Amino acid sequence: MTVPKNQPSPRALAWRRRGAAFTAGWREFAKQRAGLVGLGLLAVIVLLAILAPVITDREGLDVTKATGDRMESPSWEFLLGTDRPGRSVLLLTLWSARISLTVGFVATLLSVAIGTIIGILAAHYGRWVSAGLMRITDFFLVLPSLVLAIALSTVLERGIGTIILAIGLTSWPSAARLVRAQTLTIEARPYIERARALGGGHFHVISKHVLPAVLPLVFVNTTLAVGSAIVAESTLSFLGLGDPDPMRPSWGSMLRSAWLDSAIIAGAWWYLLPPGIAIGIVVLAFTMCGRALESVLNPRLREG
Amino acid sequence: MIIVRSRLLALGVTLMASALVTAPVAVSASASPAPARAAEATSGQDGKVLRIGVSREVDTLNPFMSITLMGTSILRSQFEFLTTYSQGSMTPEGALAEKWETSEDKLTWTYHIRKDVKWSDGKPVTAKDAAWTFQKMLDDETARTANGSYITQWESVTATDDWTLKIKTKVPQATMDALDIPIVPEHVWSKMSDISAAPEFPMVGNGPYYITEFKEAQFTKMKANKNYWRGAPKVDEIHFVYYSNSDAAVSALQSGEVDLINPLTPTQYDALQGEPDIQLNNAQNRRFNELLINPGAATNDGTPIGNGNPALKDVKLRQAIAQAIDTKTLVDKVWSGYATEAAGYIPPMFKDFAWEPTGDQVRKFDLDAANKALDEAGYKKGQDGVRLDKQGKPLNLRLLTHAERDIDENASPFIKGWLKEIGIEVTIEPKSDNQVNEETTRGEYDLAISGWSANPDPDYVLSLQTCANRPNADGTGATPDSFLCNEEYDELYAKQLSEFDRSKRIDIVKQMQALLYDEATLVIFGYDNALEAFRKDKFEGFPQQPTGSGVIMFQQSYWGLLGATPKGEGPVPVYDGSQGTESGEDTTDAAAEESSNTGLILGIVGGVLVVVLVVGLLVARGRRKTADDRE
Repeated sequence: MTVPKNQPSPRALAWRRRGAAFTAGWREFAKQRAGLVGLGLLAVIVLLAILAPVITDREGLDVTKATGDRMESPSWEFLLGTDRPGRSVLLLTLWSARISLTVGFVATLLSVAIGTIIGILAAHYGRWVSAGLMRITDFFLVLPSLVLAIALSTVLERGIGTIILAIGLTSWPSAARLVRAQTLTIEARPYIERARALGGGHFHVISKHVLPAVLPLVFVNTTLAVGSAIVAESTLSFLGLGDPDPMRPSWGSMLRSAWLDSAIIAGAWWYLLPPGIAIGIVVLAFTMCGRALESVLNPRLREG
Repeated sequence: MIIVRSRLLALGVTLMASALVTAPVAVSASASPAPARAAEATSGQDGKVLRIGVSREVDTLNPFMSITLMGTSILRSQFEFLTTYSQGSMTPEGALAEKWETSEDKLTWTYHIRKDVKWSDGKPVTAKDAAWTFQKMLDDETARTANGSYITQWESVTATDDWTLKIKTKVPQATMDALDIPIVPEHVWSKMSDISAAPEFPMVGNGPYYITEFKEAQFTKMKANKNYWRGAPKVDEIHFVYYSNSDAAVSALQSGEVDLINPLTPTQYDALQGEPDIQLNNAQNRRFNELLINPGAATNDGTPIGNGNPALKDVKLRQAIAQAIDTKTLVDKVWSGYATEAAGYIPPMFKDFAWEPTGDQVRKFDLDAANKALDEAGYKKGQDGVRLDKQGKPLNLRLLTHAERDIDENASPFIKGWLKEIGIEVTIEPKSDNQVNEETTRGEYDLAISGWSANPDPDYVLSLQTCANRPNADGTGATPDSFLCNEEYDELYAKQLSEFDRSKRIDIVKQMQALLYDEATLVIFGYDNALEAFRKDKFEGFPQQPTGSGVIMFQQSYWGLLGATPKGEGPVPVYDGSQGTESGEDTTDAAAEESSNTGLILGIVGGVLVVVLVVGLLVARGRRKTADDRE
């Protein structure tokens, strides 16, 4: 059983195969304009959010150093006007992107991680493990997740961590169901049987064969879930359960301030619309990316 | 083709998100252009109705139990008290008691009850009703819930005949001519088995109006008492309509669904300026807003309770915090100028008792001086710029605030910002009103935003700062404010309560305020004005307290509602005997044009978004159908 000299190792082969699959996937993805636009939007927004401390001054978020008047309408000094204490709405929207995106990403990762683990375990072990785990999943699935998230963030201390936990712990059941279904179809394939016959244990089968096969699906699911996590974060912040630190605004908390400060009655649309539109754009971008990825993985969704 | 479906669906979802955000704009903007129709629909039923939009809930309409501002001020018009506060000077004036006198030793008070007063069911009001009410409070702890503080020092109450009431007190009490206790009809209330139960409607009363209907969190309706001894009111009914969102109340005023609203936020007040049919009222209020600094909370027997930061026991630290709070900025930015800058504990509206620091005592806002004082007091700065307390722990303070309250939401970022400048880190903790009340009563706070409405007689607010007002071990039994316990203050408090010479009493009250200022267990932010608005196309005006410059609603009496004058029914009455004055203040007509235009634009933008959303969803649905068929 010696490996011929110019034959690459199995590991290298596997990587080469993955590289080729990725290139093919990217080519398929690139064919979809919506997906590209979404990706472009996301890249720009994430870049702006990361660079916010470089291109702007965080001190501008401190109300005691605000230079504007109350709810000033847009001008050259304040492109999107000011809020009630006189801070620039543009600056707030930019800094809010950091919190909203962070919460969106981390909460989704948390929920997808829980969902993936539970889904794979349930499908792989089957029988009573499956029955038990799926009943727990069903329980969380029927609980109204917003109510649960509100309850969680009321009980725990206020802050970003709590919001992430609340969203993550309430949004995993659908991911678990999805991953379980996918795992079941994969475990039915002959190569899994072959791996078992050759002596592969549970860990080997799960980590070497099942996980790589469900990961693309998990990835798509993650992309689609970030959008709803951002909306969930905005909802919780709007309801006053977000981080109360004025130096750490999020789009939801901006909407909340605008609502509390009667921006509608005062006609201060510049206070109300930017966070709303920002949420809309980011969710749209994630959805466009996610849909494009979905069609890469599922040929039946492809056009033509 | 199928991909189109998902893309459109995505678009639909996104538009829905943004439309949800903008929809309220469209609604409120479109609500304003149609005032007349809605107004006619509700008025013109039976007689003249004054509809008041309120955003405060009624706790209960039981006069023995009600403690909220809304509940007590409705009951103010329902029941006549022994005395009331005059419209002009807010000094005690006879109401149910025509006149009263006190004995030499100031321990026996005799009230002569007016003979021409009738209950709304026609039975006469006698001294026996008053005696029964007070006796019930003396006998029954439950009946003391709301107004028990007035009678703690009483010995006995007797009605010597139908028109004479005698009250004996254990110690001299200066508040005997200002007893804010509703007097109930004996023939109705003596039959009630549970004194704390919700009353039956219509409720028998002897005030200018009586309550006919109440639906929790919806409305309270009152009818005019045609037999009222001062003369029947000009309106036939008052409806208090509850709005959970104050913006909704403002829209209702704009569309003519309500005639009067209080309170307005400064933003709402400015937005209403220049509306042709709306008269604004910017009145000095009797409320002070404060920052509590926990000086080491303890129960009434001195056992420490709560979890306040022990560093705050140092008066130097508290004074530095007080110096780092800029009342001028708060007045300008948080209240948009509709407030008075901070001075003493008693609001400046009560000119006699109000005090302000002078000379060396003044602590002007000065971050450098505060920093210097902290340096000198030995609070060294740590590496991250946060000062360390005497044990070497960084100074991290919690700031307890009322969630969704305008002043709390807007002032707390400023406090955080200023305290950061003097090296103190602040974590803002917004909580529900009930939670804030519980936690401040149990001493579970470092800093907290609070405030009280003072009465013309300062006794009640002064009593909040005494040792005796600290709670028992369960955190109940009394209402503490700042947990101050200062022997000198308590001595002065006892002295002012039994001091009948007004000018001497004023002196003592001022000394007490100076002491509070130095102790810095509370920092006054300022005194916000009451901002109100009413429809001048429906109402001529309302009597204000004080006359001409004061509030219409939540007065220390019932003048505003009693004298409500519908359009075209002559001048607004004045209950002072002095010359008549028109109520309300001049309003400027600027800024209206602009705001109504932006409202229109917003309406259009919102409308377009909604249309796009609907079309998008319809298209998406159509596509889905065909796509599903194909699959």
